[in-house]
Amino acid sequence: MGYLIDPANWEWLVTGNNLRFLVDGFLVNVEIALIAIVLSLILGLLLALARISKSALLRAPAGAWIDVWRNLPLIFVILYLSLGLPAPWKDAYEGIVPGFFPEALQSGRVLAGILGLTLYNSAVIAEIMRAGIQSLERGQGEAAASLGLPYWKSMRLVILPQGLRRMVPATVSQLITLNKDTTLVSIIAIQEVMRHGRIVSSFGFFGGAQAPVLQVFLTIGAMFVIVNLLLSRLSRRLEVRERKRTGVAVERVTGLEDQVAAAADVT
Amino acid sequence: MSVLLDVLRRHFPEFLSGFFVTFRVVAISLAIAISVGTLVGALRVAPLRALRWIGTTYVEAFRNVPLLVLIFISFLGLRRAGIGIGPWVAGTASLGLYTAAYVAEAIRSGVFAVGKGQIDASLSLGLTYRRTMTKIILPQAARTVIPPLGNLLIAMIKNSAIIGASILALPDLLKQARILQARTFQTNETFFWAAAGYLVLTLSATFVVRRLERRLAIRR
Repeated sequence: MGYLIDPANWEWLVTGNNLRFLVDGFLVNVEIALIAIVLSLILGLLLALARISKSALLRAPAGAWIDVWRNLPLIFVILYLSLGLPAPWKDAYEGIVPGFFPEALQSGRVLAGILGLTLYNSAVIAEIMRAGIQSLERGQGEAAASLGLPYWKSMRLVILPQGLRRMVPATVSQLITLNKDTTLVSIIAIQEVMRHGRIVSSFGFFGGAQAPVLQVFLTIGAMFVIVNLLLSRLSRRLEVRERKRTGVAVERVTGLEDQVAAAADVT
Repeated sequence: MSVLLDVLRRHFPEFLSGFFVTFRVVAISLAIAISVGTLVGALRVAPLRALRWIGTTYVEAFRNVPLLVLIFISFLGLRRAGIGIGPWVAGTASLGLYTAAYVAEAIRSGVFAVGKGQIDASLSLGLTYRRTMTKIILPQAARTVIPPLGNLLIAMIKNSAIIGASILALPDLLKQARILQARTFQTNETFFWAAAGYLVLTLSATFVVRRLERRLAIRR
């Protein structure tokens, strides 16, 4: 305990650029997370629509695709892609990545990380969305159809707005998992917060103050706790606002995210 | 196709030993997660405010930190602090304590899902607190707790691969696949069989959990 709170072991935090270096690394994680979130939400919605489509030709392959990617370890997928992606793909990525992206994201290796995160999380999100859509009463779809709305219009105007609202909590807790999982790309040698942590703790980087591994990684952990707590707070705020607006509590669909968040803590 | 089968035939012992390492990591971590998770879950519903605070802090801290950070803290960090623990202990403890936060939440919401009226009714029938818990509350809570625990088990199987891929380098299924890949350069083939191994674990866990869920479901 003495070692843990000894001020000498925390001195690195305020000397030199150590903290800034860690935050820089953390921002790379946040950026990777944002890219993967956008891609996973889009791909997840498409997969969910394919999964519940009327045509078995679309339904069966979508179901198999989702089940495979959802049931493989994410780090497995990332490592496989980093070894197995054809070099031209990585070159193509380096060609299209915008210049304003940070240096760590310019390397073709990042493609394996982003692709792995997207493949895995889009499959999980597709299942969440499917459950959200299918939790709606049948009458909703039937009513839309009897009003003369074609399939796509009834999806867009009636089914999706209601169904997707129910899966917000589950999706947010999956996004928190995704945010944490961005640290896995350190294993394929992308310079993000874990790598920066190793650098800070092995060289005592700037300022020459000793930076013990324990304290460095506790700090990194704290960064994730702060961001993820903000994310879950945001989801709860959304839900409360929705309830105030409509006067009824939104029914939740949970249980399909990776690690189920608490079901009962809306206050 | 024959190349695929050939790789399996030639390297079957490596794959098999990796499979069992993964299995063992999951089994040990599961035991840690269930026992610590139950304890923390109990803290979260404890009548004392200070105890509840400890429970909440545990859950929020371990749930929001990446598993990889926990591995670094427990393996490298504690070693520098003078508490050297081996990769097995560090890996299973990290995975176990990480999952325990989710287990605690599952148990807490399971206990809350049982109506308060149930407790009142059973106490007014003259059952002691202990019998109320063991005969009335816990059997009903188990029903709501099993599905999320099943999901956690599946998540745990997948997360166990992080232990093999990290600095701990336990020779699990993923690690074996990487070693074979580096030796033979048959990336697709080695990863195919490792994927098959992981799918066997996750899909059979899914199957068992679904069966259990159906059996526990309330028949109306």
